[in-house]
Amino acid sequence: MSAKPGLWCDSINGNDMLQKKICLLGAFSVGKTSLIRRFVNSMFDARYFTTVGVKVDKKVVTVSSEEVMLLIWDISGEDEFQRMSASYLRGAAGYVVVVDGTRPKSYNTALAVQQRAVNVLGDVPAVTAVNKVDLVDSWVFTREQEDNLKQKGSVLYTSAKTGENVEQLFEVLARAIL
Amino acid sequence: MNSILSGVIQSFDMVALCVQGDGRFQLLGQATPWFNELFAGSAPPGALRLEGKSLFLDNFLVDAREHWGARKEGSLSSGPFLESGLGQGDHALEARALLVEGQCVLVIVNLGQSYEVNRKLLQAARQNLLNQEILELEVSKRTVAIRDRQLELAARLIYAAGFRDEETGAHIKRIGLYSGEIAAQLGWSPYAVDDIRTAAPMHDIGKIGIPDKILKKPGPLSASEFTIMKTHASIGGEILGASEVPMIQMAAEIASNHHECWNGRGYPRGLYGEHIPEAARIVAIVDVYDALVHERVYKPALPEEQALAIMAKSVGIQFDPRIFEVFLANIDTMRAIREEVKDEN
Repeated sequence: MSAKPGLWCDSINGNDMLQKKICLLGAFSVGKTSLIRRFVNSMFDARYFTTVGVKVDKKVVTVSSEEVMLLIWDISGEDEFQRMSASYLRGAAGYVVVVDGTRPKSYNTALAVQQRAVNVLGDVPAVTAVNKVDLVDSWVFTREQEDNLKQKGSVLYTSAKTGENVEQLFEVLARAIL
Repeated sequence: MNSILSGVIQSFDMVALCVQGDGRFQLLGQATPWFNELFAGSAPPGALRLEGKSLFLDNFLVDAREHWGARKEGSLSSGPFLESGLGQGDHALEARALLVEGQCVLVIVNLGQSYEVNRKLLQAARQNLLNQEILELEVSKRTVAIRDRQLELAARLIYAAGFRDEETGAHIKRIGLYSGEIAAQLGWSPYAVDDIRTAAPMHDIGKIGIPDKILKKPGPLSASEFTIMKTHASIGGEILGASEVPMIQMAAEIASNHHECWNGRGYPRGLYGEHIPEAARIVAIVDVYDALVHERVYKPALPEEQALAIMAKSVGIQFDPRIFEVFLANIDTMRAIREEVKDEN
């Protein structure tokens, strides 16, 4: 079925299309589901609905005039009660680590989750989304933390609420994967 | 086996499938509407292929086949996952791989209302964690605000004292930085290191209580004048004393005791050894160091080597030998602080 991790050929509308599995990881309530919802459905709901388990969404993006279907795995956020199962990452071609700029604890979780993703997936492309940029006045990130994230790869400042940089987030990852 | 399992299946909203030799699945019992919608479609019940129907299930089947292959006891759960059906809303499902009388069985459970109940419970717990995080953040912000106010007050106090004292602002700042560095090397907590960085510059605050004719006298002091001059330590202790703020308490200890000597021959109380607060023992060293290596109206700056040689003679007399050792071990950092915070010409 797959030639290499995250790569499938599927017949959609009679055309073979590249498919890539990507995962959204991070602490709970950082906005993973909201980012996906904004990206896939162009919608946003300010209410917090925690995700339990996994939901997979799909969306086609065009990168360098090539269409790619992103298979987006929304994986339940981490907290004291739940940890991400490593098997959910299997076959992922890349991943997004989401951090909530207003919550310092989400930064520590992001680092831990990213390390686990590296252990499972090796050196696949990863992008960090520092989410809730619409609340930038309430951000508590230090310059050191920002620099540390930038050393690990691309960092985008996103807002699922306003849509800022959400399309770019997935495009940057898709481009890095291809 | 099949009849017992079928009976169990009928009583829950689930389907069970037996793995065939060719990797296909055979339904045990009846298929449910949601199963048909999501996985079976119009395929004949005896020859189901599940692969390709659900990305999540495809992923789980890798683990399930490993589980069955290893003939492991117990069941392997996929954890909850959501599948979008043709109608409104998602189906919350959970797959389990198990062996029943040697047969590989896959059970897919529709979690239904229990999923929503568990989701709400988890949401409530997470909301509590969020509230706790918000509170912690608020406390932390307020702590920083309080510390900032303390710093500002300390800076203004030092500034006020500076009108009467000849010491430069740079010297005062360096004393804080040197002291903080040594305290960190001695293993002090980050809070205490922050405290000494702010408190140490107030070591001579008591000079505010010394008459101008003595404090600003250009020549050497007489014995009686020196006696009065020495009271700056206890005056400083008095100005800063009886505070409930840890940083001010430390400042009081330093102001009172930075002229105490390791051998007990210092002033104002003649304390000796570790009876002298450690913060004061640190400041005693860095104050002398900074004074020796910088120019003053009454003396030129000494080369560092010469200054250290002079100070070394006071180890065990004026200075705590252990702290002096730490000071020497970090002399590069002390030098860097001097480079960074220079006297204004």
